[in-house]
Amino acid sequence: MKWRMLRSVFRVSMLVLALQACAAQASDKSIMPREIFPLKETALAAEYRGKLVFGRYCYLCHGVNADGNGRKAKMYNPRPANLLLSDKNDAYKALIIRRGGAAMGRSEFMPPWGEELTDEQIADVVIYLGSIRQPPSP
Amino acid sequence: MKVILIMLLLQAVVQAQEFEILQKDKKFSQKSLVLKVGDSVSFKNEDSFAHNIFSLSDIKTFDLGSYSQGQARKVVFDKEGVVEVECAIHPNMLLKIEVKK
Repeated sequence: MKWRMLRSVFRVSMLVLALQACAAQASDKSIMPREIFPLKETALAAEYRGKLVFGRYCYLCHGVNADGNGRKAKMYNPRPANLLLSDKNDAYKALIIRRGGAAMGRSEFMPPWGEELTDEQIADVVIYLGSIRQPPSP
Repeated sequence: MKVILIMLLLQAVVQAQEFEILQKDKKFSQKSLVLKVGDSVSFKNEDSFAHNIFSLSDIKTFDLGSYSQGQARKVVFDKEGVVEVECAIHPNMLLKIEVKK
């Protein structure tokens, strides 16, 4: 009889512990999305979106690290720009992304992305590139 | 000897076929294509926006650059093997070309 009661107490205790663990996990999840997906209007959100756009469209030439060493880079001379060290301002970057290299007197192999990307996506990529840019060495 | 070589060359040129692959609605008109060494493919853009067709395959590496609606660019396939053709602007586009002897 005692053994049965002990077993019941043990089961109830385990159930309570499991419920507590679930509750803790649920409260963690309620915090996580805000950390992973910042509010749309923030620069952090734009940077995050820009990174996704870059990773889908630009990495082929400029590389996943934006250092100019993409899969296609070996085909070109001069090689695609190392965007970590770019000295171009944001307006110029937006323009060359939108119009393509040929229209800007640069490589014809840089496509005119204005036909594929929205203004917001282009602006996001520019913000992302600004966030990863390395300061010039002294 | 020279005449024979020229004849063989001419025969190869005469026998070579030209295929046409369209780019329409961000897709290639075919998912795969089988051709012979020496055949060529004309990639024609029928979308209202630019495409940039390229391949990084070992047997044929090329980049046709960006070209707009109505324009076509040709590639001759001169080695046996499989060539994966992609579009730099539209990552979902893929065409496999098998080049046979």
